Amino acid sequence: MEKLSRLITRVAEPIAAAMLAAMFITFLLQIFSRYVMLQPFGWTLELCLILWVWIVFFTNAFLVGERDHVTFDILYNSGSRRVRTVLALISAAAIVAGMLYAFLPTVDYIDWMKMRRTSTVENPLTGERIPLRTIFSIYAIFMVVVALRYALRFVAILRGGPPDADHDLLKDAPDATRVEER
Amino acid sequence: QDKVELRMSMAGSETDQRAVAMAEVFGPAVSDFADYKPSYNATLFAQGTELEAISRGNLEMSITSAQELAQFFPEFSIFTAGYVLQDADHQVAVFNDELFDPFKARAEDDLGVKLLAPMYLGRRHVNLRQCRDELDVKTPADLEGVNLRMPGTDAWQFLGKALGASPTPMSFSEVYTALSTGAVDGQDNPLPTVVDAKFYEVTCQIALTSHLVDWNFIAISKAVFDGLTEEQQAAVTEAAVAAADAGRAAQLQKEEELGAFIEENGVEIYEPDVAAFRDQVQKMYLESDFANDWPEGVLEAVNALGN
Amino acid sequence: MTFELAACLLTLFLLAGIGTPIGYTIILAATVYLGLSGLDLALTGEKILQGLYRSFILLAVPLFIVAANIMNAGTISEWLLNFCVALVGRFRGGLGHVNVVASLIFSGMSGSAVADAAGIGKVIIEMMTKEGRYTRGYAAAITAASATIGPIIPPSIPMVLYALVSNASIGALFLGGIVPGLVMGAVLMGMNAYISHKRGLDIDEAVPLSELPAKTARAFPALLMPVILLYGIYGGVTTPTEAAAVAAFYALLLAGLFYRALSWHTLYRIFVDSARASGAVGIVIGGALILNFIVISENIPEMMSNLLTGIDVSPIVFLIGVNLLILVLGCVLDATTIILVIVPLFIPTCRELGIDLVHFGVLVVVNSMIGLITPPYGILLFVINAVTGIPLREIIAEIWPFLAALLVALVMVMLFPGIVLFLPRLFGYAG
Ligand code: NA
Ligand code: NA
Repeated sequence: MEKLSRLITRVAEPIAAAMLAAMFITFLLQIFSRYVMLQPFGWTLELCLILWVWIVFFTNAFLVGERDHVTFDILYNSGSRRVRTVLALISAAAIVAGMLYAFLPTVDYIDWMKMRRTSTVENPLTGERIPLRTIFSIYAIFMVVVALRYALRFVAILRGGPPDADHDLLKDAPDATRVEER
Repeated sequence: QDKVELRMSMAGSETDQRAVAMAEVFGPAVSDFADYKPSYNATLFAQGTELEAISRGNLEMSITSAQELAQFFPEFSIFTAGYVLQDADHQVAVFNDELFDPFKARAEDDLGVKLLAPMYLGRRHVNLRQCRDELDVKTPADLEGVNLRMPGTDAWQFLGKALGASPTPMSFSEVYTALSTGAVDGQDNPLPTVVDAKFYEVTCQIALTSHLVDWNFIAISKAVFDGLTEEQQAAVTEAAVAAADAGRAAQLQKEEELGAFIEENGVEIYEPDVAAFRDQVQKMYLESDFANDWPEGVLEAVNALGN
Repeated sequence: MTFELAACLLTLFLLAGIGTPIGYTIILAATVYLGLSGLDLALTGEKILQGLYRSFILLAVPLFIVAANIMNAGTISEWLLNFCVALVGRFRGGLGHVNVVASLIFSGMSGSAVADAAGIGKVIIEMMTKEGRYTRGYAAAITAASATIGPIIPPSIPMVLYALVSNASIGALFLGGIVPGLVMGAVLMGMNAYISHKRGLDIDEAVPLSELPAKTARAFPALLMPVILLYGIYGGVTTPTEAAAVAAFYALLLAGLFYRALSWHTLYRIFVDSARASGAVGIVIGGALILNFIVISENIPEMMSNLLTGIDVSPIVFLIGVNLLILVLGCVLDATTIILVIVPLFIPTCRELGIDLVHFGVLVVVNSMIGLITPPYGILLFVINAVTGIPLREIIAEIWPFLAALLVALVMVMLFPGIVLFLPRLFGYAG
């Protein structure tokens, strides 16, 4: 399990970094094309938006851990170990249930979006506009992966108790803020 | 019996001519059997997502554009092209002519969206921050290298290129600041928009190119429409046409009156060589991929309905 | 209140309360609402996907996060902040003052408080907490509070939105925000000085004046950054959103070439980290989009306005009433919803009562920015929590005095329209 999660992280990290770098470069290209070439590319803006959508859901599916999330844990942290176990189980179960409940209708919507294509960005191989179904498909992947992750988490909590490390990890850290090593 | 709920989502504000016409004419005219519920500023559905919302049964009405429809059905791009529609009356004639029936049918069959009436948005002109002594616009050649803000879709960007400018995509809310700082040189919109968005504060000239006589359509869910009685259907259609007529009259009057106001605020308004613009724009469209999507004979039929 | 809305709010508060990630909590609460109302369950995904896919403005968020991480790793912002320290660090609570002054400098670069907090805020919090003199809650709280100044000093996205719904002049609104922004900075520095004194914080060792030239020279390229960005925006080279990319690019040049403090590996880690932080912020922003849909579907804005109509009031009572309402709404709604949906309801009344629309606009923007730091739903609190990992309860515990200080600024702006209208009038505004 540990091994698989490390492998996923190792594959997902360069993909996420590449998408963000591509967005950054596209933005610079947009400014460059307007001021230096005097002939702005029409597609830069939409490409950045596509990358933004993918970055958000790709990272939330594969990279954003429980402790990276915005959480409000006043109640959680004041409970006893038993209470914390129950609360963490409720959280995980609710996420799994909610994602699965909305999954099929959402897939139906995403599939419907094949009707509509990007307005400026083209597939470089075919020269055709890309159906929004392709672009929005990352949300379906996100739903499945998140449901799966929290299902596994549910099992792990049942076996090993409340995952306090996710909430308290930072208390032991020398720096209050989470900054990458230099 | 409960009234039919007609939720309308639109991107314009409450004071927009389209909004006013719908609220004052359409809403009351159907109030016997329907509850007209407008929401403004794209707060219910984001601009550009209304058609899919109607299609998927999440919304009943919207005011949609030919550009939006062209995102689904490329043939609609003929009505987004420069110098095709000539004026407000021409728009009504085209909408009511049989040449437009296949377009209506396509939207109904493939999207479940019924187009009720055409709304007049106005003539779009080139509005620049440079003063006329610095940049005098006579022909498309004068716009070379001019950063003209156009909406972000390819149809708009192509129109900007056809005018001879360098089109720049930018969201509408950024345009005022971009004009005041010079991030863009100009924008293209009808005169009422120039006033509403205060562009006259940050620009110096308007060249009356009239390159696009812009229009929108009052659209309703086909499923909802089909669920009405025959009398109710007639009433809805009639109310939409009446609202469109009222909005058109108000917008035309505004266009007439606002020129003087804009000039009082130090913006010079003048007519360039419109024929030169029309020739170049039409030529570029006919050579483009867009024209491939236009059904045979439609352009000629549209032209025949004009002057 | 409908049963569906009640169930939605119950789910929201319950799950958020027990520590479920806020972004997922909102998605689940929205799903409950849609399910019980018999609406399309796909609307949650539709709102989030389309909202992110169509919001050009939001692109500034990940790019400012990248810029901040580069500045941080490349020691740029440290040189910049060292300079601020040399300037205002000699007073009690020095780094708190540095925080506010830096926010004032950076507010001239971006139109979004969220981008400010996610960007430079992270760096300052790290500096403040490094030596353990300030609690991390205090550092986060003063950072959140000073980030609210971002959209008050131009450029400002909320003011553009207000101008669209009110027809007030954007030029006048931008100018009108400058003095109130400085007033907000002043009251925050006042509160910081007071708290530092009360807690008996040691005075940071004053930087000898002889070192000032060297510090300035070292920081100079970094100090140029706001200048370049301001020139970029006001000189017409970039839009405010593109300025975020320019900031990241300039930071990259400085860190890589001038300060030589950036390896390829560090750069890679910066992009991985920034992507992760952007994702955590993005899912909450997405959640706000579906929440807005529910608020509007439930006609909540209309119900609010019905409460106010028909009451015969004087202008000042009206202003107080509207501001109290926006403050309350700010606890649970985001600023965009307030400005686009709630504020237009009051504009006709403003005209009738003779209240200047530029004054009113700056007032409601200041107020809705304060809403960004009012618990329980304060986007800035969530963003700082997301990018630094400082627990929300610690931030909230320290936010109250700064909230009070900003309310004092709000009352001043409300009672003395001259604070807003002085500059626009100087430049020819007729109101
Ligand atoms: Na700002
Ligand atoms: Na709040």
